[in-house]
Amino acid sequence: MELVSLFITSFIVNNIIFMQFLGACPFLGVSKKIDTAAGMGIAVIFVITLASVITYIIHYTILVSLELEYLQTIVFILIIAALVQFVEMFLKKSAPGLYQALGIFLPLITTNCAVLGVAINNIIYEYKFIESLVYSVGTSAGFLLAIVLFAGVRDKVDYADLPESLKGSAISLITAGLMSVAFLGFSGLQL
Amino acid sequence: MNKFEIFKNGVTTENPILVQQVGMCATLAITTSLLNGIGMGVAVIAVLTGSNIVISLLRKFIPDEVRIPSFIIVIAAFTTIIDLLMHAYTFELYKALGVFIPLIVVNCIILARAEAFASKNSLSDSIIDGLGMGAGYLVAMVLLSSAREILGNGTVLGFRILPEAYEPMMMAVQPPGAFILLGLLIGIVNYLSRRKKA
Amino acid sequence: MKNNFVKLAGVLLIIGAVSAGVLAWLNDVTSDRIAQNEAMASMDPAILEAVMPGSVMFKDYEDAALVDTIKADNNKFINLLTAVDESGNELGKVIRTWSTVKGFNGDLELYVGFTPDGQISGTSVISHAETEGVGSKVTLPAFTEQFIGKDASGEISEGDYDAVTGATYSSKSFLSAVNNALNIYAEYVK
Repeated sequence: MELVSLFITSFIVNNIIFMQFLGACPFLGVSKKIDTAAGMGIAVIFVITLASVITYIIHYTILVSLELEYLQTIVFILIIAALVQFVEMFLKKSAPGLYQALGIFLPLITTNCAVLGVAINNIIYEYKFIESLVYSVGTSAGFLLAIVLFAGVRDKVDYADLPESLKGSAISLITAGLMSVAFLGFSGLQL
Repeated sequence: MNKFEIFKNGVTTENPILVQQVGMCATLAITTSLLNGIGMGVAVIAVLTGSNIVISLLRKFIPDEVRIPSFIIVIAAFTTIIDLLMHAYTFELYKALGVFIPLIVVNCIILARAEAFASKNSLSDSIIDGLGMGAGYLVAMVLLSSAREILGNGTVLGFRILPEAYEPMMMAVQPPGAFILLGLLIGIVNYLSRRKKA
Repeated sequence: MKNNFVKLAGVLLIIGAVSAGVLAWLNDVTSDRIAQNEAMASMDPAILEAVMPGSVMFKDYEDAALVDTIKADNNKFINLLTAVDESGNELGKVIRTWSTVKGFNGDLELYVGFTPDGQISGTSVISHAETEGVGSKVTLPAFTEQFIGKDASGEISEGDYDAVTGATYSSKSFLSAVNNALNIYAEYVK
């Protein structure tokens, strides 16, 4: 039951975008169309989950036993970069349409704060393996939720009559802020 | 571009946060107080300038095919250096900035400058670019975190600015406030730059 | 082709090795200072005084086996300590624990001190990630002192304490940590 509560907390209550801000860059960049956003979200779930598993194992089996914890940042980011390369090659072969649509944003998953952030948080919160897995899946599912919701809203925002200065990122951020207020309401959720 | 123009570019025309709009995560998350904003800004200046220096020095030795992984290693190394130094010598700030210190490595601006500038320009120009972009980042952080601290807490750097009677706007120090205030800040910058062009 | 690959891998290896070397050196240089910072964070005299008045040090509890048992059963429990005064006399026990309910921004880390008759002598927050000026108010004596005197006979319910206005989640998180300490004391230490 605790795992379920961990999932719901990382999925909604502590939503990675609206409450923790990790992954804001691609969030603002890719979410223009719902299907691209959904594709991005799913790719991110895959990368975050795999990256978390691998970094978790490497950290506890190699870094800790050799007292090399200070190399954590370098090792983790290299693992993530390699993983994203593989995902890129995989998508190029099996889902070329999605590969094209995601374009530059696919390699940018490497610099997505959410991926490294989740990997590091798994260590900071001292999660057991199964907990880190649930946290990773829940958090990245939260990213998918956020990005798809946002794409839906932005669709409408594009047709609105706005002062020239507010168009683009400014109104996106303000919109995200209003959605964040909605998610703030979930903080009362105690499971 | 001469040195002054390179520096100014980073602060105004191509300001990483207000114009290029990269590296948002830390900007939104830790700007709840001016001290944190300044601390993070300085840390980013250090990592950015350091990695620009090394990458510029090595630019003729790094083969094109492995440039991105090389850049990543250098940037991660500098991030870790700053992390260790802060852990040892600025412990309170280290605790306040938390996970966002190691996250400097994925701050898009650093990799972007390595790729777009430091790998193609001289050492002295790259240093100036690092300092300029870093200064631009710091300026944006100062603007946003001052606004959030004043509105949300009535203080600046811990000193009370607004009278005790001021009912703090809690939203300002919470996530929605971050998004909205940054959006408004960018809107204002857009407005000012459009007026300048007109 | 193969030569090229060796060259590429070689460059990466050199950059990686030099970086690792620099970091290893810096890690060495800073490790003492870092260890000191971490220790002081939880051994600040102000914290010692707030948790167990008159204490100068928290020592690890003698029965390491019991500590391990508690750790195995309770994953929010961090450590069991003995508070001693200047002359080395034992003043009571201290439990170091995480909260069981997340605050606004994560778990709170607390010391909860117990007198020999099992009453709370004091509480103090060791670390937290709550919002400055809002949730962080749970670290203030005005909030933490209300738990002094409560005993380990049962959990404190939400109706029995005063939360910080506007910081409900941080307060609830704090309460959960106190209750976790109460439960551990009642079950293992008494």
